[in-house]
Formats: sequence, structure tokens, C-alpha cells
Amino acid sequence: MIATALANVFNPMCLFLIWFGTIIGIIFGSIPGLSATMAVVLFLPLTFSMEPTQGLALLVGLYMGGISGGLISAILLKIPGTPSSISTVFDGGPMAEKGEAGRALGVGILYSFIGSILGIVALMFIGPALAKVCLLFSAADYFGVAVFSLTIIAALSGKDLMKGLYAGLIGIALSMVGMAPIDAVVRYTFGNYQLMSGFDITVLLIGVFAVTDIIMTGFGRRGLSNRLQQKKYHLKGYGLSVVEFIQQLPNAIISSVIGVAIGILPGIGGSTAGLMAYTAEKSRSKYPEKFGTGIIDGIIASESANNAVIGGSMVPLLCMGIPGNTVAAIFLGGLQVHGISPGPLIYQKSGEYVYGIYFALIVASVCMLIFERLGLPVFAKLLDIPKHILLPIIMVMCCVGAYSSNSRVFDVQCVLFFGLLGLFFKYFKIPSTPLIIGFILGSMFEENLRQALQASHGNWSIFVTRPICCAFLIIAVIFCFFTVRGNMKAKRAAEAKGEVLDTAEEEG
Amino acid sequence: MTNKVRDLVCGAIMLAFGIGMFVLAMGIPHKIESDVGSGYVPKFIAGCIIVVAVVQLVLTFVRKSPSDQVKEKVFDDAAGGILTIVLMAAYMMIFQPVGFICSSAIYLFAQIMLLSDKTNRNPLLFAAVAILLPVAVDALFVFVIKMPLPKGIIGF
Repeated sequence: MIATALANVFNPMCLFLIWFGTIIGIIFGSIPGLSATMAVVLFLPLTFSMEPTQGLALLVGLYMGGISGGLISAILLKIPGTPSSISTVFDGGPMAEKGEAGRALGVGILYSFIGSILGIVALMFIGPALAKVCLLFSAADYFGVAVFSLTIIAALSGKDLMKGLYAGLIGIALSMVGMAPIDAVVRYTFGNYQLMSGFDITVLLIGVFAVTDIIMTGFGRRGLSNRLQQKKYHLKGYGLSVVEFIQQLPNAIISSVIGVAIGILPGIGGSTAGLMAYTAEKSRSKYPEKFGTGIIDGIIASESANNAVIGGSMVPLLCMGIPGNTVAAIFLGGLQVHGISPGPLIYQKSGEYVYGIYFALIVASVCMLIFERLGLPVFAKLLDIPKHILLPIIMVMCCVGAYSSNSRVFDVQCVLFFGLLGLFFKYFKIPSTPLIIGFILGSMFEENLRQALQASHGNWSIFVTRPICCAFLIIAVIFCFFTVRGNMKAKRAAEAKGEVLDTAEEEG
Repeated sequence: MTNKVRDLVCGAIMLAFGIGMFVLAMGIPHKIESDVGSGYVPKFIAGCIIVVAVVQLVLTFVRKSPSDQVKEKVFDDAAGGILTIVLMAAYMMIFQPVGFICSSAIYLFAQIMLLSDKTNRNPLLFAAVAILLPVAVDALFVFVIKMPLPKGIIGF
């Protein structure tokens, strides 16, 4: 399987797709307003007609490039291109002010690469071990996993849990449109035969994440022409000496471990990983007072951690089919389209594709290291592309993407429906990521609940007598308790400061 | 709309949605004896929505927070947003009958014009983008991906 995966990835077409995906991902990541999520969503339909390894390789490139590209605008404009790069601004911005933008960019790219590689290594070791454990799971246990995973919603709800719950519940409700699992009873179609197969995940993602943003741009079009002042940069190599590189390795390793751990945990993504690694490095440092004044340590911590999240987020995705963040949710859609069922048997049934993903991640990391550095002048120039031209083009691509998912215009119309749903969410400050999590986990929740109850002849005690299920349910309760407590503390703190309550930052 | 009123409206809409979903779930047939039925989980989820909505309405009603009376302007330019939605709806309506290239060119030009202002308006450039992009995308789908996009009554 490994040899087949190697042959599949190291062929010219696949290598080209990884390179192309990485470049496009960097572009999407670097332009504020676009995101890694948008890049992966837009290109997902294009992968439908591709051979699975090639399609997944393209998505991997987009994911890797998208997360890494955020550092360019974080340093040159002091605006993170993606939420993952928020903590890169803390030291990247001051370095650019001091005329060291080039060095900040070089260091950011190099340690993004190191973080990515460490994340991939973690994925290679943790993934198979977790899959072996998951082989012991029954339908009741998977129900427990689904309930635990739905608690991601609590973590993604920011300071307003109720709004997060609305989003998650609406997501589950949307997953119920069409034919039900087990007995194929038709639900909530209102006589429309197009709804018999339910809503397509790609269409939902395009609508909620891309179309909503474009509509929002329409509502805020007056600020579109305000160009931001870009810092000039000069860079040789990657901007640091061998001695500095070695000195910073412990920082990179610790930050990457934080990134991997955050990636595996459901509901928290690159921005949290970057912030946690930054804080950890600051408290570990001998000169914490220099953090925020423009030193490379902060950039290294942030960029190593947010890129290590990529490998970490793939662990629960591949072994249990649980997406930990938005991009992972879209990636799950990509796997399903190609007939790859994530779960404990993925290494036996689709091993060549899993190893293909590993190799594609490594190649994408190398592409990112080389081409993000070489293409810096071009990527910096792209920050000047006028949004009033770019966003309508993206809208057309959204419609093409929706149409190509099933070759029907109904999906194109659904994109607008979900775009308006996303707008409703924005207006009422409801976070949209729990909607996607609910939509994906809804069918897993229902199917396993019904299968478990059928197997136990309707006896509900199966969910507490099965040790694995019971353990997941207990963990879910504990996780929910601590998350809600944390959210309430943050809410009270915000209110004490007189700040307006807000909802969670969208990842990606 | 103040934050408090907005949260109350949100709760009321969700309550109505939950009740509607629950009523529709009542009509879902139960086919397999040993199974809880296809209506079980929809009723459970609708029930959860109703409970969350009621809790939110009560909490919002009794809440006394300094941020309650804050009026946030979510949408700066209502006309721009509504026109964007109208343009998108029109684009999706004509997507099949008029064909991908023509409908996209019309939409692109109109949308770019709408988003631009006096300082950056360049109709010639916009027209070029509006025509060349759909042609290039159509060619990509027809010749590379082998998945033709709608041609419409004009034939392209």
C-alpha cells in the first residue's frame, strides 16, 4: 500500500496538483477576507472527477498553503490573512515597523514548514494507534463518540452558548432533510423531489462560508476602496543564521506539540494553537518583556503551532470521521466523495489513500517552503488585487462549484439559500462553524442511536453499560461543563469591561 | 435594533422554527417495529430547539447587561447588500435558461460595477474581466474536466 501511495503521489500530475493547490492556498491565505476554508470549499467540486489521490492531494495543498499564507498579510499589513495567523501579528507587525519585514517573513515560512512536518510525523504515529483502539467500537460507542463530538459546538460557541447550540441544532436539522437512515422514510422535502437525497455538504459549505462573505461585502462596499499601506521588505535566504535556527528549535518543537494537541482536540483550531504557543513561549522565555516588540521567537511559536494543527486535525478525522475544525469538515466531504469512509478500518480498506495523504502533506510542506519564499514578491503584489473585482469572480466560481457537485441548477439555487442563512447567522451573531459540525455529525448521531437501540431491543441502558460509550458520555459532560464555565467567565469579563458580547471567531 | 431586542427576535424565530419542525415530525411514519422510527430524532432535535429558544428568551428578558442597549450597525450599506442579493438571485434564475457564459458575464459586470465606486470604476476593464473569465472557466470545464456547463437558449 505504501508503494502504491508513493507511486500515486510522485507522478507528474499529482505533484503538479499539490504545487498548484499550495500556491492557490497561499494566495487565498494571504489576502484578508479570503481564507483556507474558502479555498478548499471552492476547489472541492473540481476534485470530484479526479482520481482519489490526486483530488485529495489538491485539497491537502490548498489546506497547507491556506494556513501558511496568512503570515504574509499578518506581517506586511498587520492584518492576519487567516485567523490562524492572529498571533503572528504580535511580533511580525513590530518587526515590519522596524524594517525587518523580510526577516519576519522568512522565519515565518521556515518554521511553518517545521511545524507542518512535526504535525505530519505525529499524525503518522498517533493515527494507526488510535485506529486500533477504535476497532473495538460498536454502534452504541459511536453514538457516544457522536455525542462527545457534538460538544465541539460548546467550544465553538464563543461567549454565547445558546447561539452556538442554535447553529448546531439547525445543522442537525438540515442533515435530516431527505431520506432517513435505516428505513428510507422521506422527511422535510415539502414535495420537492430534488430534496430526496438531502442537501449536499459542498453546497452548504459554499453557501455559508463563501456566499455569505460576498453578500456581507455588498453591505460594506463603501470601505472596499480603502487600500492598506503595505510595508516594504528585503530578504536573503530565510532571514536567520544556523546558530539562531538551532537556538529556536526547542521553541519550534514545544509549539508544534501544542499545535498537534490542539489539532486533535475537537473544536479548537489554528488561532487558539498560535495564541497558546505564543503565551507558552513567552512564559518560558528568559526575556518575556521583549515579546510584542518584534522578536522572531513570537513568530516561530505562532507559525510552528498553527501549521502543526494540520497534522493533528487529521488524526480524529481519519480514524473516527470526526472533523475538529472547519477545513477538516470540508476535507471529510472530499474523502466521502471519493468513496473513502473515515474510521478505524481506513488503514485496511483505503490504506493507499491514507498514505497518499501523508506523502501529499509532506510534498505540500516542501512546496510551501520553497515556493512561498520564491513567490513572496508576487504574493505581496496580490495583496493589491481590488476586492470589487475579486469577490464577484469568486461568486461565479461558487456557482460553478455548486453546479459541478451534482450537475444540477437546484444546487446553485441552494447556494444562495445557504448564503442567506449565513447572513441571518451573521445578523443575529450566531457562529456558523457549529452548523457544519451539526450537519456532519447529525446523521452519525441518528444512525448509531437507532442501530444501538435496535440491537438492544429498545433498552436505553446500553449507552451506560457499554464502557466505551459511557466513558465518552462522561467525558462529554465534563468537557461541556468546563467549556461552559470558561465561556461564562469570559462573558462576565467582557461585560465587566463594558464590551459587547460576541460569538466565536471562525476558524480557517 | 438593540442587542437585547435582537436576541429576543432571534429567540422568537428559533422558537417558531422548533415548533414547526416538531409539528412536521409528528407526521413522519413509523415503519419498523423494533426501531424508534424516523420521526424520533427530528422530534428530539425540535424539542431541543424549543427548550434552548425558551431558555434564551427568558434569560434575555431578565438580563440586565450594559451591552443590552447598545445599537450595533451590522450593515453599513443596506442598498449595496440588497442589490447584491438581487443580482445573485437573478444570476441563479438565468443560469440555466441563458447559459453559463452569458449569465456569468452579465452578473460579473453588474456586480463589479455595484461594488466599485467613483475612484476605481473602469467599465472597460470590468467588461473585459466579465467576458474573459466565464469563457476561460467554460473552456476549462469542457476541455479539461470534461463536464459541460449549462449552454442555454443561445447555445454558449
